[in-house]
Amino acid sequence: MKSLLTGLPVRKLRLIIKREYLTRIKTKGFIIGTILVPLIGLAFCLLIIFLVNHKPTHSMRLVIVDNSGTLAQPITQGLDAKLENGQPEFNIVQTVLRPASPDAVQQDLRARINSEKIDAYLWIPRDPKDSFELHMRNPDNFSLIGPLSGAVDQAVISARLSERGVHLDDIKAVLHGNDLKLMKVSDAGEAEEKGQSIGIAIALVVLLYTALLMYGIITMRSVLEEKTTRTMEVLISAVPPFELLTGKILGVAAAAFTQFAVWMISTALLFTYGALAAMGMGGTAMSGVHVPISLVLYATIFFIGGYFLYSSMFAAIGAACSNEQDAQQLQWIAMAPLVFCMVIYSMVLNDPTSTASVVLSEIPFFAPVLMALRISLQTPPAWQIALSLFLLLATTVGTIWASAKIYRVGILMYGKRPSLVEMFRWLRYS
Amino acid sequence: MDAITLENVTKSYDSVTAVSGINLHVRQGAILGLLGPNGAGKTTTIRMIMNILVPDEGSIQVLGQPVSDNTRDLIGYLPEERGLYPRMKVREIIIFLAALHGLTEAEADRRAKEWLETLGLDEWSEKKLIDLSKGMQQKVQFITAVIHKPPLVILDEPFSGLDPVNAATVEEIMIDMRASGSTIVLSTHRMEQVERMCDSICLIDKGHKLLDGDLRAIKQSYGKNTLHIEFTGSDAFLKHPAILSMTRLGNGVEAKLKPGADPQEILKAAVQENVSIIRFELLEPSLNEIFIDRTSRA
Repeated sequence: MKSLLTGLPVRKLRLIIKREYLTRIKTKGFIIGTILVPLIGLAFCLLIIFLVNHKPTHSMRLVIVDNSGTLAQPITQGLDAKLENGQPEFNIVQTVLRPASPDAVQQDLRARINSEKIDAYLWIPRDPKDSFELHMRNPDNFSLIGPLSGAVDQAVISARLSERGVHLDDIKAVLHGNDLKLMKVSDAGEAEEKGQSIGIAIALVVLLYTALLMYGIITMRSVLEEKTTRTMEVLISAVPPFELLTGKILGVAAAAFTQFAVWMISTALLFTYGALAAMGMGGTAMSGVHVPISLVLYATIFFIGGYFLYSSMFAAIGAACSNEQDAQQLQWIAMAPLVFCMVIYSMVLNDPTSTASVVLSEIPFFAPVLMALRISLQTPPAWQIALSLFLLLATTVGTIWASAKIYRVGILMYGKRPSLVEMFRWLRYS
Repeated sequence: MDAITLENVTKSYDSVTAVSGINLHVRQGAILGLLGPNGAGKTTTIRMIMNILVPDEGSIQVLGQPVSDNTRDLIGYLPEERGLYPRMKVREIIIFLAALHGLTEAEADRRAKEWLETLGLDEWSEKKLIDLSKGMQQKVQFITAVIHKPPLVILDEPFSGLDPVNAATVEEIMIDMRASGSTIVLSTHRMEQVERMCDSICLIDKGHKLLDGDLRAIKQSYGKNTLHIEFTGSDAFLKHPAILSMTRLGNGVEAKLKPGADPQEILKAAVQENVSIIRFELLEPSLNEIFIDRTSRA
């Protein structure tokens, strides 16, 4: 059976892809990575939800020692919030006004905290400019320190304003500002921008960079393994090198796709159920992240182009080397443009329409990351996308051709690592 | 129709000419010994027949077809450098390679079972290759070369690493394959094996063909000019002027006579020296002798 376009015997290609795929997904690293990454993500999200929504269930038994004599009352008024179970957040057990012997009072209160008769005492200094002190056994109960600190601030500010004859509520009304809504203009019209665009853009860059690099190196290692174990010569006695190379790249791609599908589905579930869980726990639901479908399509197309471009380069490097050390020395050739993308992407992020950004995103080795980044920020003119895509595809075809040549020669070469000059010479071999 | 036809085949790597203008015809149903010192160009020749390498000049045909990706499935190949995926199970890897050579997986599975039994590996079929001894791995690799019943089999040093029992089994299998019409190319340095099994030989050195043809005819062309002597006692008699050159073997010598020399003179000399003769035979030179003679002359 021959496919119409390529003339490759599809049967052999299918067998190569199948073996590569099954071998990849059966490795411990793959299974752990595929399952563990979403689990860690889930655990992380649950932890955040828990921390954000964690509410104490008991009132804090508080004693207020007021050396100023005036602030205890407004602070007590400010501590009127209720817990979920209807109990007050703060139970003011006692208020001590201007104690005659502060040291004795402190000593007594410390003893009461230690014997757990009260939870904390608030020490109001004689002069409100000095520090207020909250004494408690576990000074890490943030959920109650927040409201207490707010009540203290409000009482102090209110007192100072009163001295000047101003009412706190008036000041609040005057100082109340307004929000600046960001609106993103695109071909599809206008939509409110919630700062997601940049988040999505950065996530996209990291995702594309990681995927291209990680699966490129997996492809390289896989080729290298066939060489070091001497499986290669048996394989090419059955399958032409070009099919072997294509099958390998597609097999790793299939494994990559599986991994990403698991991650994406679990992320989607996480967002959906995570949001529900958050609401159930009384928190605010996470607002759904909206990723435009056109961005998904473009990113996919550029990723596929970039995937073949980089995987074939990594495969050629694996084929040219005879051991892991040599491969590590040579892999910078394929890694350098990707790393450059990571170095330069913030410049494109800041100004996606600058000449430098436009030119860089047209260069095929950067396009899979940088053009995808530009598209996610602000849709570039169609001709720029088309040109970038055309250049990427042309370069990918050329690179696959060159990689296949190097691969074909390299897989039979053992011994000294070839120089770049030698590898270029291999391109001329028939 | 020949099993293999090489016409004026030349292959160079940069400045080194690995194979230079080789012509060769291998008859179907024969076992050909492909001989030559290390670095003679045997592996390059084999790889060109496999279409792994492409010749710079000349043409190669396998069973009447010019070599191409399609002739791959007509050939079974055991490369000199052995190796298979170390972490695959024995049965899986045999089926994988058999399927690549065109068998259905069911058929491959059935034949794999048969072969594993024949070679005494049936208990190892679910083990990973890395858990097998070197000799067992070697047998697995041999199975992958012949499981698709190829009309042409190329075996590069198939006996290295095998104990005598397994070597005999493999030899038997090769004789059976010839009987069923397969052609076998055997590349090896073990001359006694070649002498026992091969119908014809091709000797190459430094990329050039030195000698090829029917093994018996080649030996006959050398004539009975070689004494095979086994003896105990002093070897002083071997300094006899009638002996042109000789090769010491484990239990005796193979001595090449000067043209026109009388072997009886040497026997007399031995008797005078009180040497006890176990064997004294005038024969054609051994293949070993021919090999050394031709490659040192070149």
